[in-house]
Amino acid sequence: MSQFPPPASLQTGAQLHLFSCLACGRVSQLARPAPADTPLHCPRCDAPLHHRRPGSLQRTWAFLLAAMILYVPANLLPIMSTNSVFGNATHTILGGIEELRAAGDWSLALIVFIASIVVPLLKIAVLLLLTITAQRRSRWKSVERAQLYRMVEAVGHWSMLDVFVVVLLVGTLRFGAFGGVQPQAGLLAFGAVVVLTMLAAGSFDPRLIWPEEPTPRAEPSITETHG
Amino acid sequence: MTEPELHVNAPAPRAPAASRTQAALIARPDLVVCNECDAVHQRIELKPGNVARCRRCNALLGRGHVMPVQSLLAFAFAALLLILIGNTAPIVTLDLRGVISRATLPESIRYTWDSGQPLVALLTAATAIVFPLCFTLVRLYVLLSIVRGLVPPGFNTAMRSLNFLNRWSMVEVFMMGTLVAVVRSAGLASATPGIGLFAYAGLTLLLTSILAAGTHSLWKIGSELGSTR
Repeated sequence: MSQFPPPASLQTGAQLHLFSCLACGRVSQLARPAPADTPLHCPRCDAPLHHRRPGSLQRTWAFLLAAMILYVPANLLPIMSTNSVFGNATHTILGGIEELRAAGDWSLALIVFIASIVVPLLKIAVLLLLTITAQRRSRWKSVERAQLYRMVEAVGHWSMLDVFVVVLLVGTLRFGAFGGVQPQAGLLAFGAVVVLTMLAAGSFDPRLIWPEEPTPRAEPSITETHG
Repeated sequence: MTEPELHVNAPAPRAPAASRTQAALIARPDLVVCNECDAVHQRIELKPGNVARCRRCNALLGRGHVMPVQSLLAFAFAALLLILIGNTAPIVTLDLRGVISRATLPESIRYTWDSGQPLVALLTAATAIVFPLCFTLVRLYVLLSIVRGLVPPGFNTAMRSLNFLNRWSMVEVFMMGTLVAVVRSAGLASATPGIGLFAYAGLTLLLTSILAAGTHSLWKIGSELGSTR
């Protein structure tokens, strides 16, 4: 982006009373300053306009805490049980990965390990970091935190993998007395963790990573930014 | 001027379309505001294949990727076809010494419901079937009007629902899940991937290219058509 001046001249929507509609992308500008609590709606699509989404951190905390609580049963309870001529068995998430690895499917064991263990843990840890730093209006490593936020958004739904695997095994592995698969309560807890972390990430407003400076620059001018 | 920053470089103010807003909001099509850090940028034309990133937080601002409405419509029709195939054809066929067991995705969901996990069944049905299907149907509804130069009734609601439906559609994860399921059942019986699996693989590719085009260009076309009525 060589046509842009260095970031020193950067201005924000809040400083210039500019709003980008999160639903349709239209950029609007307030003709004259209005009180901060004036409800504004996008003229094109009627979605509410905010510089920062209200209640973002409270909502993120609520979903995140619920996800952390359910993470325990999701990993301790069995997600499925199998019955076959060799006997009955229950399987946890870690147990399923171990079975794949023991069967020699290293690559699939790795994919399931990443999708079911690494991604949920990482998501919870990153969201904790993001909400705590945003709450303290921290300016620490903002670019890196923005990167972490995008990563959580991108990988979030991949943890649903294990839920789909069990549902498909329940549907296909049906040989009556010879063998079958039943879903167990751990699967519900695990699915709930995935949904709750996705809701937490969706509630988090990434603009909170970039707190506004307490005093706006004197005489900001848009014309300077594209000279 | 008491507020010099508000009027600098402003184009001739255009009356906002909606009267619900209490304060006047002027359109600034010459600017881009980053959705992820609120930084303001001058809008530039992007060449095909180029992407614009925020110079403060590096978020994706836009792509120089314009797909004609006709192509978007063709993609949506193809996606609908693949969803129908993917839900009626078996995903996996298992053979345990001559005993054949095969299941489609809706059947698997029904067995999950019957096995005492209705919520898991609902979650799977929503993310693997209902949301991708609704996403495709809403796009068809909007695009079929747009190609004829019309704005369909409920355009705003339909377009806004696309964001939600896209966020909760998990076609690509489901496809990976079927691969894992095939391998895991291969240890017990001989497993053959079915047509349904390939349909979902194709659907993954189609939805990825549909999403790369984004919705902002459709919003723009819709509002331009609407203002000339």
